Amino acid sequence: MTVPLGAFIAVSAGLFFIGAAGVLVRRNAVVILMCVELMLNASNLALVAFSRRAGQLGAGNPLDQRGSVFVVFVFVIAAAEVAVGLAIILAAYRNRPTVNVDEIRGMKG
Amino acid sequence: MFDILEPLLFFVFAIGIIGAGACVVLLRRITAQALLMALTFASMAGMFLLLGAETIALFQVLIYVGAITILILFGVMFTKQDDRGYGLFFQRQTPWAAAITLVIGVPVAFLAFSFKDPITPSAKGGDLIPLAGSLFTDYAFPFEVASVLLLAALVGAIVLVKQDER
Repeated sequence: MTVPLGAFIAVSAGLFFIGAAGVLVRRNAVVILMCVELMLNASNLALVAFSRRAGQLGAGNPLDQRGSVFVVFVFVIAAAEVAVGLAIILAAYRNRPTVNVDEIRGMKG
Repeated sequence: MFDILEPLLFFVFAIGIIGAGACVVLLRRITAQALLMALTFASMAGMFLLLGAETIALFQVLIYVGAITILILFGVMFTKQDDRGYGLFFQRQTPWAAAITLVIGVPVAFLAFSFKDPITPSAKGGDLIPLAGSLFTDYAFPFEVASVLLLAALVGAIVLVKQDER
């Protein structure tokens, strides 16, 4: 009795929906950043699951790790994104002490 | 006995991912949200282990549970948190939002559960050696570009946060 691929994809899609809802619903900039991280992580799960399936179906080399390589790059992007995102939040906070994205209108004309 | 162990672990990790992820969106205590996000990432590492991607699980624990959670917690502590909760949550757009979610979510759910291939863990040796071989031969150039990107992000973050000394 093994877990089918669809279960992993369903968990991934569910987490992606949760993250997207959080980005749209919450107004706290730090929470929005967290939800973006959740969405990136959900995509990682889908990439690894499909990569495992492609290796099993014999579509090419079973040692082919393309999905995992993409996941490594997503890790890099996520780390860079959270560092720069928090720096932007802190810079905006110094300018105007709030993290509510409705109140940060410094670049609006 | 091990036949039942794998689905059991899957359910534990799935509940950890979906439950903690939902709490990240729904709760209003920012520190608890950050720690629940760490729980989501840790459960995701367990999922990667179930899929037989041990190296990715290790990276997940190191980068997400370690580094990104700590960065987010620093961001929480350096700012004053007065979250007024849900900006657009209880407005009249709720029926529209529910309808659009159904239109997108039902096909996605059908599509997801249409994949019925069983996932069996990889036979031997783990995925470190094929992953490293792929990363440092076929994808060596994107790897170097990623290192330049990380350097640029590091310098950019320092420049953004640095106080003006004038």
